[in-house]
Amino acid sequence: MASDIETKTDSKEEKPAANIQSPYFKNVRGFFEGVTLGTRFSFRFFREIIRPRYEFNEFLKQSYLIGYRSLPLVAITGFIMGLVLTIQSRPTLAEFGAESWLPAMVAVSIVREMGPVITALIFAGKVGSGIGAEIASMKVTEQVDAMEVSGINPFKYIVVTRILAATIMLPLLVIAADAVSIYGSYIGVNLKGTVSFHLFFLQVFQALSFSDVFPATIKTFFFGFTVGLIGCYYGYNSNTGTEGVGKAANSSVVFGSLAIFIIDMIAVQLTSIFN
Amino acid sequence: MKNLTGNKIRLGVFVSISLALFIAAIYFIGERQQLFNKTFRTSAVFKDISGLQVGNNVRFSGINVGIIEGIEQITDSTVKVDMVIDEHTRRFIKKNATAIIGSDGLMGNKIVILIPGKVGSTELSDNDIIGSTQPINIDDILLKIKLTSDNAALITANLSVIIESIRNGKGTIGKLVMDTVLAENVEKALINIKQGAGGFKQNMDAAGHNIFLRGFIKKKKEEQDKKAGK
Repeated sequence: MASDIETKTDSKEEKPAANIQSPYFKNVRGFFEGVTLGTRFSFRFFREIIRPRYEFNEFLKQSYLIGYRSLPLVAITGFIMGLVLTIQSRPTLAEFGAESWLPAMVAVSIVREMGPVITALIFAGKVGSGIGAEIASMKVTEQVDAMEVSGINPFKYIVVTRILAATIMLPLLVIAADAVSIYGSYIGVNLKGTVSFHLFFLQVFQALSFSDVFPATIKTFFFGFTVGLIGCYYGYNSNTGTEGVGKAANSSVVFGSLAIFIIDMIAVQLTSIFN
Repeated sequence: MKNLTGNKIRLGVFVSISLALFIAAIYFIGERQQLFNKTFRTSAVFKDISGLQVGNNVRFSGINVGIIEGIEQITDSTVKVDMVIDEHTRRFIKKNATAIIGSDGLMGNKIVILIPGKVGSTELSDNDIIGSTQPINIDDILLKIKLTSDNAALITANLSVIIESIRNGKGTIGKLVMDTVLAENVEKALINIKQGAGGFKQNMDAAGHNIFLRGFIKKKKEEQDKKAGK
């Protein structure tokens, strides 16, 4: 009996200890480290945003670059989205003799989901990668360190202004994209039929309600904030070297896009609970 | 410096247009929900609201004049529906108007249809409760269709049994229709009857010439002629 116990004890001792240097543990550790650093980064943003001095001119400059300069891309995408959605939906609705529902259906789809999500994805691709790459190159070329030396708070000047601009500009871009998209839908409806703009307009607003517009608009603030935050985080924490710039840009787009879908899923669940 | 000012102007235009679009959208949605029009409130009580929801339209003479503002269960069998109606329509809706729950198209949302009251009645006041007509419930229609189809199934089943019996030559009609021997017998019987009738006629003619019966037959013939003469 005693020998049995000894044998068991021996076998326990012989069991190899978990290798904390293995790639699996490195990944897990890296993930949790990332969560901690990201959370700390967000808290620092909120702390810096309320503290003076405010970089208002830099904020306006970033708003122009992030918002206004993204408008053509977002508008073209929105127009095509509305047009294609209308053309693709028409045959199915025509089977039921419900073609007159086309404006209402397209408007609800665009305002609730397609407009915010697709615009945010394009925003993550254009702006998120841009922010990541720009801040990473500033780090590589030691511009961030130079700012600190010259007495400027680089976090406030670089990070806060960009995140704030992204948070405020994305909802405005989504509103513009929705409007252009609905106009694209109007063109789509009139490709194989004739509907006056007045009737189309009435049908669109007949279908929409505040419960469609407000949750969709509120979630775009979160989309913008997340894209800006992730872009700045990867840029600000990039490794030195040109490789780090590419990695920062890539990670900003990948994680930004993923975050948009996750936030969208949560937003839809919350909206359905409140509805 | 000039470029910076230009950028600020462009940004300002973009922000202003986007905000204007947003405000316009809010205004048009709000207007549809009677948020910016002068309105009055009225209610109707139904036994069953057939899935009517807050925000559904109220229609009068085919025009959307208001929306459903609230739905409240009062007792176990009555539901009060509160409506907000455009003030401009008030003069057309009389106190004896009735409300009925209808549907916007075959697959559309539920709506409340206001049926105007008789001319001469006074117009609605705020928070008046108008009469209601119970909507035709699709479940009731389906129940009746089910009953009818059950009856039809029963009838066709019975008919099938009867036709089967006829085909098998059972019963009077079956024998009449399907039994060939019976048909032959009937034919033969008819021939026999015809032949019998011919023989009987001959006998009667012979009896007319008989000395004992001639007087009686003549008398009967005269009576017949007299009746015919009348």
